[in-house]
Amino acid sequence: MRWGIYVHIPFCRRKCFYCDFPSYAGRERYMADYTKALCREIAAQGSLYRGRWGEPATIYIGGGTPTALPVEGMEEILCALGEISPAVDEFTVEANPGTVDKGYLELLRRHGVNRLSLGVQSFDDALLRRIGRIHTGEDAKCAVAMARAAGFQNISLDLIYALPGQSLEVLRESVETASALAVQHISIYGLQVEEGTVFARQRDMGKLELPGEDLEEAMYDYMVSELPKLGYVRYEISNFARAGQESRHNLGYWQDVPYLGLGAAAHSYLEGRRWENTAGIEEYIRCMAQGESPAREEGERTREIVMEEVSFLALRTVEGINKEAFRQKFGCTLESIYGDVLRRLEGKGLLRDCGGNVCLTELGMKYGNLVFEEFLLA
Amino acid sequence: MQNKNIRNFSIIAHIDHGKSTIADRLIEHTGTLSEREMEAQVLDSMDLERERGITIKAQTVRLAYKGKDGEMYQLNLIDTPGHVDFNYEVSRSLAACEGALLVVDAAQGVEAQTLANVYMALEHDLEIIPVINKIDLPSAEPDRVKKEIEDAVGLDTENAVLASAKTGEGIEEILDAIVEFVPPPKGDDNAPLQALIFDSYFDSYKGVIAHIRVMDGHIKKGMKLRMMATGKVFEVTDVGCFRPAPVDLGELGAGEVGFVAGSLKDVRDVRVGDTITSEENPAAEPLPGYRGVTPMVYCGLYPVDSADYDDLKDALEKLQLNDAALVFEPETSVALGFGFRCGFLGLLHMDVIQERLEREYKLKLITTAPSVIYHVHKTNGEMVKVDNPAKLPPATEIESMEEPYVKATVIVPNDYVGAVMEISQEKRGEYKSMDYLDTNRVMITYHIPLNEIIFDYFDRLKSATRGYASLDYELADYQESKLVKVDILLNGDPVDALSTIVHRDRAAGRGRQLAAKLKEIIPQQMFEIPIQAAIGSKIIARENVRARRKDVLAKCYGGDITRKRKLLEKQKEGKKRMKAVGSVEVPQEAFMAILKID
Repeated sequence: MRWGIYVHIPFCRRKCFYCDFPSYAGRERYMADYTKALCREIAAQGSLYRGRWGEPATIYIGGGTPTALPVEGMEEILCALGEISPAVDEFTVEANPGTVDKGYLELLRRHGVNRLSLGVQSFDDALLRRIGRIHTGEDAKCAVAMARAAGFQNISLDLIYALPGQSLEVLRESVETASALAVQHISIYGLQVEEGTVFARQRDMGKLELPGEDLEEAMYDYMVSELPKLGYVRYEISNFARAGQESRHNLGYWQDVPYLGLGAAAHSYLEGRRWENTAGIEEYIRCMAQGESPAREEGERTREIVMEEVSFLALRTVEGINKEAFRQKFGCTLESIYGDVLRRLEGKGLLRDCGGNVCLTELGMKYGNLVFEEFLLA
Repeated sequence: MQNKNIRNFSIIAHIDHGKSTIADRLIEHTGTLSEREMEAQVLDSMDLERERGITIKAQTVRLAYKGKDGEMYQLNLIDTPGHVDFNYEVSRSLAACEGALLVVDAAQGVEAQTLANVYMALEHDLEIIPVINKIDLPSAEPDRVKKEIEDAVGLDTENAVLASAKTGEGIEEILDAIVEFVPPPKGDDNAPLQALIFDSYFDSYKGVIAHIRVMDGHIKKGMKLRMMATGKVFEVTDVGCFRPAPVDLGELGAGEVGFVAGSLKDVRDVRVGDTITSEENPAAEPLPGYRGVTPMVYCGLYPVDSADYDDLKDALEKLQLNDAALVFEPETSVALGFGFRCGFLGLLHMDVIQERLEREYKLKLITTAPSVIYHVHKTNGEMVKVDNPAKLPPATEIESMEEPYVKATVIVPNDYVGAVMEISQEKRGEYKSMDYLDTNRVMITYHIPLNEIIFDYFDRLKSATRGYASLDYELADYQESKLVKVDILLNGDPVDALSTIVHRDRAAGRGRQLAAKLKEIIPQQMFEIPIQAAIGSKIIARENVRARRKDVLAKCYGGDITRKRKLLEKQKEGKKRMKAVGSVEVPQEAFMAILKID
């Protein structure tokens, strides 16, 4: 059975202005205890599910900024994971270009990490400052070069568009730079201003000059048309990769593959249940020290809820929903549940029936939320 | 009990001046309910009433009180609706009494609605006992308020009771004043029966229960009775009083207040203001003052999901069981499908019904903007009454139109007189009079179209006077006006439910404002949506809702699917309030947009 492990590191040097993920700056004092707690959870939960499901296919260490941890802490975690799973197919670690050096990258490689996901966001220094990043464009280029020198052959970059003050030209330069660096994978996200972030405060004070709808659309159109020309094929709404270099771990989220989340605020989806670990660092440490479960169940899971999720998640990928897989999982056809929805959305040019699968059209990708919403049954 | 020991009284007060709390204290003090049974504000029993601090249905309660003279008295309290929409109901409740407590907040003073009800009580020759409430407040000015009552109402306040329903101060004095000053009822137990119906409600076991005041004669269980206006005949199965739960006494005599029931299934057979008499020995004439139900305001109610049509019909029928003033009939709209045209006594009545449908019957509704009833004189000499702008005959068939006018009374501190006048002029009001209630407060009356009142007149008054204005209005007459219908087109198609009737001189402005407001309300969709306002075939305003450029949630974080789902659910919930009109998703508030423009 294919399954994955996600490990969450909730630390950052500094909180980026757009970020509302569970990550904290200025909590370095908890790093040692957190590492110990996390290793304990890895050993306990990891071996439990490994016993049931065999080797995980993928491991993904994300954050926050995993590489904000000191080398020693990272090594402890990698050792703990190595006990569970000495050799996985895809082992990703997220890194901030401002937090890695040769030694750090070599350590990752030594422990079997074979994919590096760099949070670059942009190569424009003024823009990087504007959004609260701690690194420059040059740092990002160096990080790619160092990673390659350390032996990474699978590198992904994250970019963001529709940032305040960003022009189409600046986005174009970043995409071209990424392509020139010959990375294997690019994730590109449209900025959303979330409550509780620095950007939300700036917006409320009238100090956030976001690109207008026209420009934002132009950026989207540019990226969707340009990245394939540069050799990056779109395989999910926000993800582009060279052939065969898609992120297997992230694809798992969309393809109904189970995963075990370890660490504070980590989400799990296993054996039909979804749960989330407590998001508080101290609370997580306390739970692990006292042998309590940090997990918080995420509500009842009816057959309808599962159908909805399987459908709207699968639609994010270019493959879309596989009708036969749906029928096998639920014992009824996709048509019998969503017949009206499928016809309506096909009529609007948002969905396409390609025989065995139902998937988003180009237009559907652009208006994904309008499509996904229709798959909620309640 | 002998008539001389009976006192029938009601309480007149402005919202928030403490009517219900005083009623509670009277119930408590006379031991009608033990403290354990006492629930705050017993008389306002509907959730909505409690939330809004208003009384919608009249309630009665019989109190037993030992007077200072050592004799036992039967005090019947009739709690009246406190809102202008229910003026007629108030007048019937007052007609059932010999006295009234005029409760005035010691800090706020007299308000327009209080005045209207006091005048009504004076018309019914009631003995009025002023009660200055909330004297425990630091800002209380009982002497100023007394003077205001004397100046504005012309009442002697020598016997006014100073009270605080909150602390219980003055409650006993109120009870003694009722015994001392309210005259006992007249009436002859042996005369032919005349009982006044002043409210009714539906009980699922006993059928319709009528609140009554026996004027002459008496009612006994088993008697055959007849409603003089509706002609309905029934046999008495229950007769008694409220304490405050109904207590079966077997009979009610002249001068008493209570209830009667008897296999009455339809609340429309039991009309407020009707007279009940005996079938065997009927009274020669009914009591004066009966009037049929006349809705002032109409609107369309449509289910958002057309599958809920039957549920909406059931719910309206159920509400009507308890509310003879609610009228409705099926209506279809090109834009909204099947629904109902509903008539209400006024805006509050409309609000309350809508809220109960949504809350108690869990219905998602689209409400169209309220309309008054226009009298349309056609070129063929016919006169038609139009309560729905969409049903207005073509302009070529209209000779002239009349609209209802009201006499509006506004009371404000004199600093705001200018603001009131400005708004009233703007609303096509014709100035009538201005009187000083005291050195600071002024009563202004205007003759003004009801159409303007139901738009945002009171809201604007409130905001221009920092909440100090109080308003009362009553229907005055119909007057000819130059009125036109403004239509709205979405995506080139007229949307009947968005049509509105306005004065010709304001039509262009209203059309522009309405189009602009709709642009704000209608969310961006995948295509551009032109919004046009038109009079006949002439376009008077244009706006555009631009196409939404993209709508995709890109962020992915560590498999947090629950969060994604919540965002989608929220988005979908928003859509549930929208109605697909042609290919355009129109939110519920769009149909009320005309009320939101300024």
